[in-house]
Amino acid sequence: MEALLGGFATTLTPENLFFCFVGVLLGTVVGILPGLGPLTTIAILLPITFKMEVTSAIIMLSGIYYGVAYGGTVTSVLMRIPGEASSVVTCLDGYEMARKGRAGAALGIAGIGSFVAGTVGVIGISFLSPPLAELVIKFGPAEYAMLMLAGLAMVTYMSSGSLPRALLMAAFGLLLGTIGSDPLNMTPRLTFGILALGDGVNLVPLAIGLFGLSEVLFMARQKPDDMKVLPPPSRLLGFMPSREEARRSVGPVARGTVMGFLVGLLPGGGAVLASFLSYGMERKLSKNPEEFGKGAVEGLAGPESANNAGTAGAFVPLLCMGIPANAVTALLLGAFIIHGVTPGPTILERQPQVFWGVVASMYIGNVMLLILNLPLIGLFVRILDIPRAYLTPMILAVCLIGVYSSSGNPADVVIAVIFGFVGYGLRRHGFDLGIVILAYVLGPIFERSVRQALAISDGDPTIFLHSTISTGFAIVAALLLIAGLWPRRLGRPTS
Amino acid sequence: MRQGRLIATGAMLAFCLFALWQSLLLSLTDRLGPGPGFFPFWLALIGAALAVALLIVTLREPRNPETDATPVLPRGPGAARWFAIIGSLAAVTVAMEFIGFRLAMLVFNAGLVIALGERRWWLIALFAVLGSFGVHYVFTTWLDVLLPDGRLWT
Repeated sequence: MEALLGGFATTLTPENLFFCFVGVLLGTVVGILPGLGPLTTIAILLPITFKMEVTSAIIMLSGIYYGVAYGGTVTSVLMRIPGEASSVVTCLDGYEMARKGRAGAALGIAGIGSFVAGTVGVIGISFLSPPLAELVIKFGPAEYAMLMLAGLAMVTYMSSGSLPRALLMAAFGLLLGTIGSDPLNMTPRLTFGILALGDGVNLVPLAIGLFGLSEVLFMARQKPDDMKVLPPPSRLLGFMPSREEARRSVGPVARGTVMGFLVGLLPGGGAVLASFLSYGMERKLSKNPEEFGKGAVEGLAGPESANNAGTAGAFVPLLCMGIPANAVTALLLGAFIIHGVTPGPTILERQPQVFWGVVASMYIGNVMLLILNLPLIGLFVRILDIPRAYLTPMILAVCLIGVYSSSGNPADVVIAVIFGFVGYGLRRHGFDLGIVILAYVLGPIFERSVRQALAISDGDPTIFLHSTISTGFAIVAALLLIAGLWPRRLGRPTS
Repeated sequence: MRQGRLIATGAMLAFCLFALWQSLLLSLTDRLGPGPGFFPFWLALIGAALAVALLIVTLREPRNPETDATPVLPRGPGAARWFAIIGSLAAVTVAMEFIGFRLAMLVFNAGLVIALGERRWWLIALFAVLGSFGVHYVFTTWLDVLLPDGRLWT
């Protein structure tokens, strides 16, 4: 409790409050823009944080991450266009509620549910992280290596495409992570004779290329949509749900919060999976499942709470184990490392001000989001009026600045453009790029753990099965791979 | 779509095979166990095997005239926008190093906005100036971010 209060002291400085505000504001705005998700935004804005103090930088980037989850709701409810993947389910019943003249109530339920879930999720992080960190600190290289393997297996199993495609992307990401210097003896490798690759492929050009530039190329192919925006209420009272709607929301919000947080803890989990699972659960539990898809309050309240709780839950493995649960947290892990912070069990001892500062900022960020979201929705929706002719060059310019400023190396801009093209080609043909980033970030840690374990055992691979924990992780990884390679999944096209 | 998938998977296979060859130039083991080539070798081998398997699966898939007809490169109204973005990105990447951020972005912004359909000259000019000189000022002065000044002028 004392540590958490220290975190509040860190966050409640004018500077950190400002960056928290900027983060949640940018997150909300980007969540509203169709196409630009948290991954792209964090990748683009990451270089801007390089000059910032580490806690402020992480507070801002985290604010973007959970701000996007809120922002995506607005376009889902008012336009039936999900701002980002975790808001897809919100379209089903949120938009139908808006069509029935209950747009304000739908946004109010989503906003309040998200606030409750986000806050409970942060309480979960506060209480779960210290004991988990104590457990993880006992892990040796073998346990760490198998944990990473299980995490990668889980993420590939949960991916949207067929398992072989997901595994190929994991191998691609891991290979990209090996370019540069060998982590143990610094031997240059896989530089293909290109001088610019001597230090490896940097995270920023890779992420901006794969997600930012490829997204712009995707947007260019699509027709400018005939977007019809349903009007949000002009008065604050218009966002209040009726007594009946509030009563029907209580259960789904509670269930969505608990389930979303637990799903967020899993590698491969996070907001997207949490929202889909919550929708399925609410429909099963409902006495009137036929109302789902036609404006059921439960179909909106549950998933909206679950996606925010899932976003919070994903911070637990990231902060306590140094293991990202999904591509966005993988990028955040990269951001931590760039800023000289190594997330993992020792973060609570070595850099408690960063850990508790981020946790405290999430409490405050959730309050800011609630205050921002409801009264300013009408203003935010006007962002969608920006013509694509201007939006495209703006995004491209920020991408280019982001890449250049990360290293000051023009070669990185070339690398980003190449990965933009590669990312476009892969995504268009059903390859999940999130796995590439996750594998790229985990790769060097995984390799170091495997090689350290083998060095300890004098090359004996059975070291990975010596402890119950590492054996458990190895079994989980094997089961996931076997389950994923089940014949009916082979070659399954991307959903 | 099928043709595109074959090309994308083929490119992955080529990358994995190249990485496999490069990793064989390094030692796979050293006195502590696995050497610098160990990880890249196995990853490239696994990647190549998966790419081959995917190529076989794609080739054996029943043909679907509807999706197979989808062109690899864009066609129709979106194609001009797509190629404009690709071309301007390539040009600005090369030009920025030589003529600097401000001038390169001025031309980039104006050219791309026109290519994407804007015809009001005063809006184009305003956007191009703000998006180049304005952005340069904000990033270098306020955010302390270094941007290229151009080899030609320094």
